[in-house]
Amino acid sequence: MTKRYRPDVMAVNGLNMKVQRGEVYGFVGPNGAGKTTTLRILVGLVRPTSGSCEILGGKPGSSDTLSRVGALIETPAFYPYLSGRDNLRVLSRLAGIDYSRIEPVLEEVELTGRADDRFKTYSLGMKQRLGIAAAMLKDPELLILDEPTNGLDPAGMVEMRQLIRQLGQGDRTVLISSHLMGELEQICDRIGIVKDGRLIKEGTLEELRHGARLRIKARPIDRARVLIGGLGGVGQINTIEDDILLVEVDLARAAEINRLLVGEGIEVSELCMAQDSLESAFLSLTEESDPVE
Amino acid sequence: MNSLLAQLLLVRKRKAYWTLLGFWIVLPMLFSYLLPYFAFTSDSNFRPRGLDKVLLTELLPQNFVNNILASFPFFGGTIALIIGVLFVGSEYSWGTLTYAFTQKASRLKVFGGKMAALGIVLIPFVVLVFMFAFLASLLIAMREGQAVELPPLLLTMKALGACWLIMAAWSSVGVMIAVLSRGTALAIGLGIIYALVIENFITVFGRQIEALSTLSQFLVRTSGYSLIYSLGATVQSAAGPGSFFGEYLSVARSCAMLGGFVAVALAISAAVIRWRDVVGNS
Repeated sequence: MTKRYRPDVMAVNGLNMKVQRGEVYGFVGPNGAGKTTTLRILVGLVRPTSGSCEILGGKPGSSDTLSRVGALIETPAFYPYLSGRDNLRVLSRLAGIDYSRIEPVLEEVELTGRADDRFKTYSLGMKQRLGIAAAMLKDPELLILDEPTNGLDPAGMVEMRQLIRQLGQGDRTVLISSHLMGELEQICDRIGIVKDGRLIKEGTLEELRHGARLRIKARPIDRARVLIGGLGGVGQINTIEDDILLVEVDLARAAEINRLLVGEGIEVSELCMAQDSLESAFLSLTEESDPVE
Repeated sequence: MNSLLAQLLLVRKRKAYWTLLGFWIVLPMLFSYLLPYFAFTSDSNFRPRGLDKVLLTELLPQNFVNNILASFPFFGGTIALIIGVLFVGSEYSWGTLTYAFTQKASRLKVFGGKMAALGIVLIPFVVLVFMFAFLASLLIAMREGQAVELPPLLLTMKALGACWLIMAAWSSVGVMIAVLSRGTALAIGLGIIYALVIENFITVFGRQIEALSTLSQFLVRTSGYSLIYSLGATVQSAAGPGSFFGEYLSVARSCAMLGGFVAVALAISAAVIRWRDVVGNS
């Protein structure tokens, strides 16, 4: 899929991605990477310049598709002079669904107590929660959330993550975008990393973290490196700091390595699994920009 | 139907429309009844002889339709233009189209519901002004001890329809400007400049320049004034932003022109809404 707004502005550049039914898929990338444009294309607000996409087996923006999709795109935008409840009533009318869905979704996002206050008096966190409530109104098969924690304080972010995790349970598919890697790390089954409108990496958290490595603090470090290097099935060994090794190896062999080092008189003071955070994986990935085949 | 009900809920709860309605009722009451009545009751030495009787006759119930009609092509048109802008422009300003267009109803259904609601909202803007005008004329008749006679029912019904059509034409122009400019503030500014300045100057210079004279026949104001003139309204030709100097069109042509403005403005708006990307707050 490609979307060009002007000859010099390519928002989405040959993006190719697939979200599996029932998974929580994180769509991550720096600001301006093309995430929101992609999500707008998926709900029919924006038409791609070339290419196509299918959503729940249908055309983006068609009545049938929209009736099965709940979306929070960019900042929650509601009628400021209406209460939260009345805003949901308007959306219920447009969606052709019964008002009886309003109370359950207000309870789900814990907004019942303020539902009769005007939207313009809401805090940012409450606005985001109303946005989630609006997206949940149709009890959608697919939930699309664009930066749902934007502007929230740390406590609000934790609450929002818990809510999203809860919403993603069961058969519902969730597509969530963010520029905060740590946020998606805690919620998603799979993640796609986008940069300059292109999907540059896609996979499970484990795959994106480059696999697990052992972190070994040992003395003397050089002798330990030689001994470990002599073992079969060991990948790259990196020395970080003066006395710490990062070893690419099956984690099940940790005890074997420990026995070897101690048996050779090497002092082992730390041996644990070392994982790159998704954040650092993302940063290293976005420095390059080869698209996923 | 669901789209219409959604839009009616939005209208019912939005104070701006009801504030405009109140303002719009006060304007013709002030300029068509209160001030003329004060003029009638004040020192008659300021007026030419015989004008007293004319002034009073115009303010009585049998003439309330003719008296109030003149308010619509200008004041009413400007108010209707602002209503049209608010109906659509606010959606762009608040970014609410993103939600409206991602529920279930198609863009054209949402827009259709909105325009149907706009048509309904214009009804109280016409009917209430007529009702208040009648009440004002009734009070004046009672105060002056004049007989109360009603204008012909058919004339009243025709006048109500004509005024609704004039307001519909202006509000459609407002909708179109709001859609094209994707907002409220610029659209109101442009709309008022068009209504008060551009159409006025084309009309004024239309008396001196032949090409503009032809062009002036295609203005909303020309059709509006022609329509109320055909119903017996007194059209003031004094200078000013609401003045009218051009030639009157026939009733059929006035109605066709006003209907044409509604159709063209809404068709352009619908086409743009249907095809244009909804990006950011627009």
